[in-house]
Amino acid sequence: MKELVEYIACSLVDSPAEVHVKERRSGNRVYLELHVAKNDMGRVIGKGGRVANSARVLLRVAAAREGKQVNLEISEPR
Amino acid sequence: MTQEDTTLEIIAPTVDEAISMGCDQLGLPREAVKVEILDAGGKGGIFGLRSRQARVRLRIISEEEEQDEPAVETAPAVVKSEPEAAKADAGLDDEKRMVLQIATTVLEGLLEKMKVRASVESSYIENGEENEEPVLLLDIIGDDLSILIGRRSETLNALQYITNLIVGKELGHWIPLIVDVQGYRIRRERQLRQLARRMADQAVQTGRRQLLEPMPANERRLIHLELRSHPDVVTRSVGEEPYRKVTISLK
Repeated sequence: MKELVEYIACSLVDSPAEVHVKERRSGNRVYLELHVAKNDMGRVIGKGGRVANSARVLLRVAAAREGKQVNLEISEPR
Repeated sequence: MTQEDTTLEIIAPTVDEAISMGCDQLGLPREAVKVEILDAGGKGGIFGLRSRQARVRLRIISEEEEQDEPAVETAPAVVKSEPEAAKADAGLDDEKRMVLQIATTVLEGLLEKMKVRASVESSYIENGEENEEPVLLLDIIGDDLSILIGRRSETLNALQYITNLIVGKELGHWIPLIVDVQGYRIRRERQLRQLARRMADQAVQTGRRQLLEPMPANERRLIHLELRSHPDVVTRSVGEEPYRKVTISLK
């Protein structure tokens, strides 16, 4: 799941070196937190959140394969 | 129609005829549909003329009761044999071949990271409409891929959107591209065009506005296109995504 987010994010941003995904697991839930460069926020969120939501749909498939539920959040760079 | 929630209203001289007509149109056996008799019709007249016609509603007994996604039937015909599908390699210039290669690699990468074991067959298809640019079709082939379609093609559309964005980013420009699963979109397109014509007939016969099931934008577009030149009906989309639906009413 983490690799999927990294792959999508790295492919869409201008600064792939600044893509970081943090993963936290709790029971059968997986929480992913995606960090990208400030200039790239728009690329991974998309108009009306369309990119982020599509990524979540694809993540759901990957999660279902492992019998898990997944939650993706996109955060401002620290 | 392999979609859940799909219903079809049929008008015929008798209930039995209506049921068998409906099953024929859907290409499904009698056991695969639930029948609701809306109007048993009335006797009178010669050969059923001037009598009230029977109306039945067929609801496809769907996979919804067993699972959430519509099942992918193993396509009996290989997509490549579709008349509109071009030969994968013949007559492609270098740029087209490179684009095909990039797009295939991107989609394979996504599938691998989604833990889906499948292969991708890529080809260019001629677009029947006024748009002359051939469209790149990426067809995903494998076992048990209904998970890649999702409710109302949600997953398939997400996969297409992300693939298209990544390919566009790599090429520096956008290209027309379709992601499909075992020819699902092509089959669905045919069914939707049939559905459009049938519902238009019904609108004309009953004089009442017909409301279709909620559909994603690309499917609604097909309905609008199919009935664009219909002499008696107009189509309109109503409601909000993701429940937006097409209505067909008399002009």
